[in-house]
Amino acid sequence: MSDMPLTRAERKRQRRIRRFDNPWLNPKLFWGAGLLLAIIAVGILGRLFWDPELVFVGSGIPKMPPPGFENLRGQSGTFANPLGTEGSGRDMLALIIIGAPNSLYVGLMASLIGMSVGIFLGFTSGFVGGRTDDVIRVLSDVMITIPPLLILVVFQSAFGDVTLTMMALLIAGFVWQSPTRLIRAQVLSMKQSGYVQMARLSGASTWHIMFKEMLPNLVPYLFGSFIANVTTSIVTAVGLEVLGLGPQRIPTLGRTIYEAINAGALIQNLWWWWGIPTLLLAVMFIGLLLINLGLDEVSNPRLRKLKL
Amino acid sequence: MSALSITDLSIDFPTTKGVVHAVTGLSLAVARGRRVGFIGESGSGKTTTALAVMQMLAEPGKVAGGSITLGETDMLSLNEEEMRKARLSRVSYIPQGAMNSLNPIMRIEDQLWDGITAHEGTTDREQLKARSDEVLESVGMPARVGQLYPHELSGGMKQRVCIALGVILTPDLIIADEPTSALDVVTQRHVMQTLKDVQDKIGAGLILIGHDMGLMAQSVDELAVLKDGVLVEHGDSRQIIENPQHPYTQELISSVPLVGGDSFLDAEVGAPPINRGEPGVPLLEFKSVSKTYGNVTALQPMSFALDGEVPKIISIVGQSGSGKSTMGSLMLGFNPPSTGQVLFEGQDIAKMNAAQSLEFRKQVQAVFQDPYACFNPFYRVNHALKFPFKQFGYATSEAQVQEKMEEACRAVGLDPSLVLGRYPHQLSGGQRQRLIVARALMLSPKLLIADEPVSMVDASLRATILKNIYDLKDRYGISILYITHDLATAYHVSDYVIVLYQGHVAEAGPPQEVIGNPKHEYTRLLIDSIPWPDLDRSWGTPSTAAEDAERLDRLARDNKTEFRGSVSGFDLELS
Repeated sequence: MSDMPLTRAERKRQRRIRRFDNPWLNPKLFWGAGLLLAIIAVGILGRLFWDPELVFVGSGIPKMPPPGFENLRGQSGTFANPLGTEGSGRDMLALIIIGAPNSLYVGLMASLIGMSVGIFLGFTSGFVGGRTDDVIRVLSDVMITIPPLLILVVFQSAFGDVTLTMMALLIAGFVWQSPTRLIRAQVLSMKQSGYVQMARLSGASTWHIMFKEMLPNLVPYLFGSFIANVTTSIVTAVGLEVLGLGPQRIPTLGRTIYEAINAGALIQNLWWWWGIPTLLLAVMFIGLLLINLGLDEVSNPRLRKLKL
Repeated sequence: MSALSITDLSIDFPTTKGVVHAVTGLSLAVARGRRVGFIGESGSGKTTTALAVMQMLAEPGKVAGGSITLGETDMLSLNEEEMRKARLSRVSYIPQGAMNSLNPIMRIEDQLWDGITAHEGTTDREQLKARSDEVLESVGMPARVGQLYPHELSGGMKQRVCIALGVILTPDLIIADEPTSALDVVTQRHVMQTLKDVQDKIGAGLILIGHDMGLMAQSVDELAVLKDGVLVEHGDSRQIIENPQHPYTQELISSVPLVGGDSFLDAEVGAPPINRGEPGVPLLEFKSVSKTYGNVTALQPMSFALDGEVPKIISIVGQSGSGKSTMGSLMLGFNPPSTGQVLFEGQDIAKMNAAQSLEFRKQVQAVFQDPYACFNPFYRVNHALKFPFKQFGYATSEAQVQEKMEEACRAVGLDPSLVLGRYPHQLSGGQRQRLIVARALMLSPKLLIADEPVSMVDASLRATILKNIYDLKDRYGISILYITHDLATAYHVSDYVIVLYQGHVAEAGPPQEVIGNPKHEYTRLLIDSIPWPDLDRSWGTPSTAAEDAERLDRLARDNKTEFRGSVSGFDLELS
């Protein structure tokens, strides 16, 4: 039986079953991760094969279109600037090579800090209870009601020029609340579960119960929450940048869009100036969304469907 | 005339591991006015068969062959709309957990009216009101209950409402899926009586799904025994209970413990009990311990001293809310007492330092009710056995831990190669509970708290697991506190029984006295309400629900305790 070669249909079926049994082998996760990795790859490969010096002002002729197109002045694009140039002669390709990973970095960094704070506060609040729990809960509830953009605009204008990490830190101050609440709720219900009681009977320390018994079961939730936070953080960061706040000297996608809007790129039909960064942001968000949908299926097996 | 006839029914569930045949070649007829019991263990296909009649199989199950005829209608050929009309009006379903089956934001009568309106289109308020009042009265409840919301009713009353809902359109067939499994024995008797009465009145066929042989014997005319989706025996209930033909049926009947009947434990005792306690100091002591949650008294002050020198099994018996589990968690130190002290070998467990606390954990272990929740789904089952063993410093090498685990598995009758190294969801409830017993055995504590260890395990395995626990006392010298609602098993395993009612000790003494010949009215009521798998033994004295409720209420205010003798090494005192 076993040495008989499988037919095409049988192999296909087996692959589907494998995917069903191991939820991490999920096409959505695969494509989502692929899109994000592609953006990172653009950053790395671009630095190797393209000249990052071209991001500086005046490195090329301003407002040049990509090859095969003409701008309003009738100049047609050349391969010296494959994605064209913007209003002060900076090369669009170099801007993207430097800018796209920067936007992703701010998002990941802010989310990572926010999650760490959330995990710490969530576990503390759920485990310690009492007054500590009250303080953390009220604090996170209040913070959820405050619109982050408003506060950040005030902060950023006070700080003036900031670094990317500083920006990530500021945003992280607004993304720790929902993981805190999520983990607190999970910890409270898990605290009563049989296996945690068994661990207490086994003389386990609080540390062991938190990180060895509870945390592994939270992994799918944490991943989901992390990805959702990356999306929120990038949206917030781009929002600030489009308003002209955020880092002034470091190219980011949001800042490029801000400059395009400011220079009237929309009426001058300089579509590559604002269009290419927008497209990249869209790719980033689609990638994150796909990862989130994939993780949903991992943590909630009921969403998985087996078609035989 | 038969209300339902099932011919050669097969139901399949395609899964990743291949097709599971949930039901194979089942043929059966239910006559009008007859009560048929479907008995079998979890996974035997009894609920699946019933759901197939209503075309309510869970995904991805489907009927693979055979036919289901209700009266003259072929049920499998009905489309969605026709089936919707047939449900409730021709075949109704009374679910297991009534507490989750009623809409919490609708009054009872609105929910009853919904059923009528959906099928008959009647919207005349007066007519609806008259019908809902009538049906509520037929299940023994005053019409004003219709004005109430589900949360204002007790569990037994909610189950009655579900019965009322099931019979309001006088169907030809009623399917009751373990309708009393969430109720205590006193309420169970009344609810079953109500169900039988209304079914008699409307003359419908009744399918009663269950796993309790005693309840079946007292309730149905015919029994259908299912095992792994196959109907192994079907016939008159008297004939099946008195003269079972199939070995599985024989096993099901013999595994029901009876008060006063033969013990399911081996008569011969192995090695003489090992003495492990320290003389002079009681192993566990309650010093006027009580527990209150807000205004509710979960446990009234009580004192006892358990001497560990000769291992004993002390049973704490009571219905839900009697305070028995509260006692368990006080003993484990999970909950501090409201007054008094819990002492372990003379040490107050609330005031232990880290080293003493570890020693206490080493010596006091537990087996909990739910074998499904006791394993962390993230780890293989070995983790639950290995971790405490290492934590308590018993481990010398990996090989020794492995050997100890295998030894413990074999001692509880598990094949180590089949269970170790697997994930919890790959094992059955029975296997998991035995692993928890194996864990206790590996750690060999002085005291084991067993909180309803077999209530979630299939009937045929209960006796084996209780025997495993009993062996812990005999062979390993572990004293056991057995917390249960089941008087019959307590009768057989224990040396001393405490019957709790609303946090108060109603009766206490050796089991032959307390359960064999109860003096306290509450114990008598409990024993009366147990359905016995014996057709000639009547199910309790005829009393109405209201009478019993009044009796219980009076007993709660009485606070009387019957002491029925004592055993050496255990002193109980009430303050």
